[in-house]
Formats: sequence, C-alpha cells, structure tokens
Amino acid sequence: MLLTQDEGVKSFIASLTSQLSEWLEAGKLQRVVLVIMSKATSEVLERWNFNIETDAEVVEKGVSREKSDKEIMREIQAIMRQIASCITYLPCLEEPCVFDVLAYTDKDVAVPFAWIESDAKLIQNPQMVRLHSFDTKIHKVDTLVSYKNDEWDEQ
Amino acid sequence: MILRTPPPRKRRAGSVADHESPVSDRRLVLYDDPVPVSVPVSSVDPPPDQMVCTYHCRQMVKSEFIVALDTAQKQVHGYQSQVETLKTELHEIEDERKKCQDRLRYLEQELEASKGREHALQERLIKEVNDSQERYQLQIKRCCELEVQLKKEVDSCKTSESSAASAKERATDLEEKLQRLSESSEREKNRLQRELSHCQDESKLSVSRKTADLERMRLKAENLEEESELLKKQLKEIREQLDECRHQKSALECKLSTIPTPSESTPSEDKNLVKHLREELQNYEAEVQEARRLKSCHMNNELLKEKLLEEKGRREKAEMELSQLREAQLNAQNLELELMSWKSLLKEIPDVTSCDDIPKKIAGLQKEAIESMIKVGEISAHLKELEVSLELAELSKQHAEKESALAKEKAENSALEVKRLELMLCSVTEERDRLNKDVIVLNKQKTAHADSRMMDETLVKDLESSLALREHTIKELESNLHEQREVINRQHDEMKLLNEKLSFEARRIKSLEREGDRLRSEIALLESKVLRMVNTLAVDNETKQTIEALQSELKKTQAKLQAVEELKGQSDAGNVIDVDISEKLAQLKGQIAILEKREERYKAVFAERISVFRRACCSLFGYKIVMDDQQRPNGIPVTRFTLQSIYAQSDDEKLEFEYESGNTNILVNDYSSQPEISHQIIVALAIEAELSLQLYQCNSYALPVY
Repeated sequence: MLLTQDEGVKSFIASLTSQLSEWLEAGKLQRVVLVIMSKATSEVLERWNFNIETDAEVVEKGVSREKSDKEIMREIQAIMRQIASCITYLPCLEEPCVFDVLAYTDKDVAVPFAWIESDAKLIQNPQMVRLHSFDTKIHKVDTLVSYKNDEWDEQ
Repeated sequence: MILRTPPPRKRRAGSVADHESPVSDRRLVLYDDPVPVSVPVSSVDPPPDQMVCTYHCRQMVKSEFIVALDTAQKQVHGYQSQVETLKTELHEIEDERKKCQDRLRYLEQELEASKGREHALQERLIKEVNDSQERYQLQIKRCCELEVQLKKEVDSCKTSESSAASAKERATDLEEKLQRLSESSEREKNRLQRELSHCQDESKLSVSRKTADLERMRLKAENLEEESELLKKQLKEIREQLDECRHQKSALECKLSTIPTPSESTPSEDKNLVKHLREELQNYEAEVQEARRLKSCHMNNELLKEKLLEEKGRREKAEMELSQLREAQLNAQNLELELMSWKSLLKEIPDVTSCDDIPKKIAGLQKEAIESMIKVGEISAHLKELEVSLELAELSKQHAEKESALAKEKAENSALEVKRLELMLCSVTEERDRLNKDVIVLNKQKTAHADSRMMDETLVKDLESSLALREHTIKELESNLHEQREVINRQHDEMKLLNEKLSFEARRIKSLEREGDRLRSEIALLESKVLRMVNTLAVDNETKQTIEALQSELKKTQAKLQAVEELKGQSDAGNVIDVDISEKLAQLKGQIAILEKREERYKAVFAERISVFRRACCSLFGYKIVMDDQQRPNGIPVTRFTLQSIYAQSDDEKLEFEYESGNTNILVNDYSSQPEISHQIIVALAIEAELSLQLYQCNSYALPVY
C-alpha cells in the first residue's frame, strides 16, 4: 500500500477529511464516493461507493454506543484487504487518470466554502461488486465498487 | 502289438454288432477263469453250466467284447469328441458367459454409473430447481419490494407533483403578491415617509407658529379688548361730549343768528371765542379722529377675532392632521412590520438576499420543478419498463416453474426407469447365478459323461435357451440403455436450455439490480445533494494570489475593526455609543463574507468552465491550447500560447505563439524550425497577410470619400 508525498494532494485530502468528519458528527453525510476518471476524456472508469447509515438516536439524543477499537480496526483491515485484492478482476487503467471525491449530504446542508454542487458521475452499464461492510455502532459503512464493463468481459 | 488272436473282421460298428453277434448286445459278459489244475479233482465241484465256454467262445466273446470295446471306444471317442465339442462349446459358452458377465458387469457399471449420474443429475436438478426456486422467490421478493418501492415512488412522485404544482401556484401567487406588495409598500412607504416628514415638519412649524400666533393674538386680543372697552368708554364720553357740543353749537348758532353782528364790538372777545371755538373744534376733530381710530381699532379687533377663529379652526385641523399623522405612523409601523415579515420570509428562502433575487430564485425553482418533472417522467417511464420487465420475469418464472415441474416428473420417471433397470439387473443376476449353477452342474456331470448324453443334450438346449434369453435380456438392456441415453441426452439438452434460461434470467436480474441501484442512486440524488471540493490540485497562481490578497485585506479590515472596537471600549461611559456604526460594521462584515463566498464560487465556476471549454476546444479542433502569462526582462507582461496537436507523437511537436496588445507572433523552436513546418508556417502567414490586405482594401473601398 502506497502513501502520497505530494503536498498538494495531502492538503486536498486533509481539508476533505476535515469537512467529512464535520458532516459525519452532525449526521448529515449519506455517502462518500471516490471517482476515478480518464484525464483526457473525463470518462468515469471506476466508482468506489461508501454508503453511510447513521444511527439517528445517537445524533439526536446523544446516546452512547460502545464497540472496541480493535474490532472496528479488524473490520476495516478486512475491507482494505478486499480492496487490495480487487485488482484481480478490475480492468487495467492504461491511460493517465485523475480522482475526485463526491459527498452525498442532506438537502438542508449549507454548501461550504470551496465546495460546489455536482452531478453524480455515474457509469453507464457498470459491473458492480459488493464488498464487506463495517459497523461502529454509530455508523455503518457499506462498500461497493462499480467499474466500466471491459470489452473482453463483454465478449 | 502282435495280437495272439486274429483281428476281428471289420464290420460296421453298430449294425454288425447288432445283427451278427447276438452276444454283442453291448453287454459285458463276465468271464470267469477255469478252475485251476492244482486243485484236486475230488475236491472240486463240477464247474457251473452257465459259465462253461470253449476257447472259441472265449475268442468270440473276446472278439465281441473287443468289438464292443471298440464300439464303446468309438462311442467314447464320439462322446469324447462330443464332450470336447461340448467342452469347446462350454468354453465358448463360458467365454460368452464371461463376456456376458463382463458385459453384465460393464452394464452394471454403466447402470450404476448412469444411476449415479442420474442420481447426481437428479440431485443437481433438485439443487438447481431449489436454487432457481429460491432465486425466483428472491426475485419475487425483490419484485414485491420493487413494487412496493415503485408504489412509494409513484405516490411520492404524485405527492411531489402535486406539491410541486401547488408550490408553483403558491410561488406564482406569492410572487405576484410579493411584487405588488413590495411595489405598493415601497410606494406607500416612500409616500408616507415623505408625507410623514413633511407633515411632521409642517405640523411642528405650524404648531409652533400657531401657538406663538395664538399667544400673540390672545395677548393682542386681550389688550385690544381692554383698549376697545376703554375706547368704548371714551367713545361714549366723546359722543356725549359731541352731542353736548352739537347742542352748544346749535345753541350758539341760534344765538349767533339772533345776535346782530357787532362789527365794532369787542373783536378780541370774538377772536378769543373763535380761538376757543377753533380749539374746541380741533379738540372735537381730534376726538372724532380718535373715535375713528377707535372704530378702526374695533374693526381690526373684530378682524383679529375672525382671524382668531380661523386660527382656532386651523389649530383644530392641525390637531386632526396630527391624529391622522399618528394613524399614518401606525400604518407605517404596520407596513414596516409587514416588510420585516416579508424580509424574514426572504431570509428564510435560501440564496435570496433582496427582492431582486426573488424572480431569479423563482426561475430557479421553476427550472428545478421542470427538471424534477422531467425526472419524474423519466422515472415513471422506467417504472413502466420495470413493470413490463417484472411481468415478463413473472411469466418466465411461471414457465421455469412449469419446466422445473416437468423436469421433476422426468426425474421421477428416470428414477422409476432406474428401478426397473435394477429389477432387470436383479433378474439378470439371478439368471446369471442360475447359469453358473448350470455350468457347475455341467462340470459335475462331465465326470459321469457316459450315461448322460440326453442330459448333455438337455443341458445344451437349456444353455442355448438361457443364452438366447440372456441375449434377449442383453438386447433389452441395450435398448433400455439406448433409451436411457436418449433420455439422458434429452435431459442434458433440457438442462442446457434451463441453464441458458437461468443465465438469461441471471443477466436480467443483474440488469434489474443495476436499474434498481440506478434508481436508488437517483432517489438518493433527489433526496440528497452531491457536493465536491473545488479546490483541486491544479490551482492557478493567479487565484492563489487573489486569495492571498483577499486574505490580507480581510486581516487588515479585521485589524481595523478591532481597533475601532477598542476605541469604543476605551471611550467614557457617559459617551453615547454610536449604534449605527456597529450595525454598519456588522452589515459590512456580512457583506464582505457574502462577497468573498460569491467570489470564490465565481472563481471555481469560472475555472471549471474554462477547463470544460479548453477540453471542448481540444476535442473539436484537435489542438490543445495552453495559455501562460509571463514577463519579459523589461517587465512587460506577455501571454504565451502553446499549440499542440492531440496526435502529436512527442511533447516537442508544438508551436509557440506570443500575444501582446493584440498582436500574435510565432516563436521559433525546434519543431517550427523544421523545413516542412517552416514552409507551412510561411504559407499560412502569406495567406493571412493576403486576407488582411484584401480586407483592408474592401474596407477602404467601402468607406465613402468626402
């Protein structure tokens, strides 16, 4: 697993995660989508969808739910292993690509600074693979990867 | 071997023996040796009559015996040959039996294999049927869920349509009302404010004037009244005096008329009299003037009274107007409250800061409503397609259920066939056992072969019959096997068809799942909004600089605000705090924040649009244009453009241009200095020059000459 050292990417991810954590704590975040697009044509090639279900009782009433960090980390590690193993069936990306992150929020959320509304950047007739999910007792995250049908797979 | 006795005559084995040798009736005659010589004669009894024979008889018997022996040997040979043939036949039969056994075993194996395969096929069929049933049940459940979702979506669509329509109507009504109210309120407000101010000023002035006038007039009136009373009194006195003077005058005139004219009488007394009379006349004239003056004063007094009354009337009018003013002020307050309420309504409406934004917002809402209607239409079309696909899936499910029932029946039939084959196998194995027993019996009987020719024949016949039966059973088994194979092939074909149908249904299920996911994503889109960060990695230097400049300005204004607030805090407690300045500051801060946000949004939208435009230009024209601002050594800013074809094989294949104050010049680089490219550039420049010359000529011809 590789980590970026580019300062621009790091700052982008840092500001992104700070906003996402703010929305998560408020219970306003519904899903997070990582989109990988072709740099030349802006065609969406892969779409990593993380669906988030928030326990409303915890957000509204402040009820505390406990689950050990070890167990949560174990579940996350399983998902990361699954994501790493997805390379076996995902099509090869043979051209330069760019990534972007979309956040699905409630309608009443104010658009913060440096964020704009966007389209969903869906893939037409995708192949979908559902991965494991993990649960922190407050948030439940389901993972799904959809990718463009490879010509060889269609044949 | 030399025979001691002559060889017997060659006779036909059977007939000669039967006819010419009555003795040789194929019975062996026991021959007893004669009594031995050593035995004393006296002690030996005379030999029995039945066994007495001469050497000739003995020879005859011997010959007959030999003949019989020969015949027996021949028979034995024949039997042996028969036995051998039977043996060979037995061997053959055994071989055939072995073959049949092998065949049987093979058939058994095949039967078991077919049984196993059938069993496996059955299990597989059952599994697949169960799986397909489960999948169909799941599909049915999903279809039901989708139907429920469809219904919910349809209901939500209907409610959203109805709410959109009602919202639209309300929005239009509200818009109209808002417009009218805003206009009328503005007008009213302006008018009322103007009137208010005017009336206030007027009222103040008039009130002050009126009060002052009133006071003056009142004082004047009092004075005048006193004066008038005094004057009246004086008038009365003067009138009385006048009357007295007139009386005296008349008396004097009478006296004068009666009295003769003394010309030489005392002139001094006349002069004194005349003086006295003149003085009295003057006094009377002065009194008359005073009376006239008093009269004019009285008239003025009455005029002043009238004016007082008028001023009182005006005062009442002013008080009435004041009361009306108060009512107008109340109305203005009510209108202000209404305006505040409408402003609060405006604030509640997102992205609306003033009345001018309302039509835009309403236009945006209308667009959103139209888009949602379009989406609702699309979703309803998809819903209908899903319903059609659901119906088709149900029909296919019913068909598959029927086919699975048929397959089950076929499996049951094949099981029955298997049972029948097993029974046949059992019968065949029983026959085989029986044949084995027969063979064992044959082998046993082989040892006592001489007496059992008939039995051999019967055995052979039995064997033949059993062989025929076995062949028949084998043929039946083969035909059954063939039928079973055909059945199995048909079942294989049906299984293939079912598998194809299952794969088709699986693909349809996947497509339905994809549709469902897409619909869920669309529903999620409708229920939520998608946001993305604009602060992408490729941030221009200009935007960075503008951001830094804005941030520095922000800091400066914040420092100024802090200084102002410190000054405010440092002021004395008795000083009046200027509330307006703080309010203005807060307003300015809010405006600054709003403007900053707008600026950032505009920048982001502009950057995105520019990138989209660039990409479109690149894809449409086939050339990638990169713009870069640079500065010459002399400090003059210059814009540099790089033109690269999308089919360029390397990064060096690009043309560079320099743009400065409306003029574009091509720069020299390795690619442009190639002979082919430079030739093309020259040609292009020549064409451009010719075109510009022609344009100039056309324009110069077009311009009129004065």
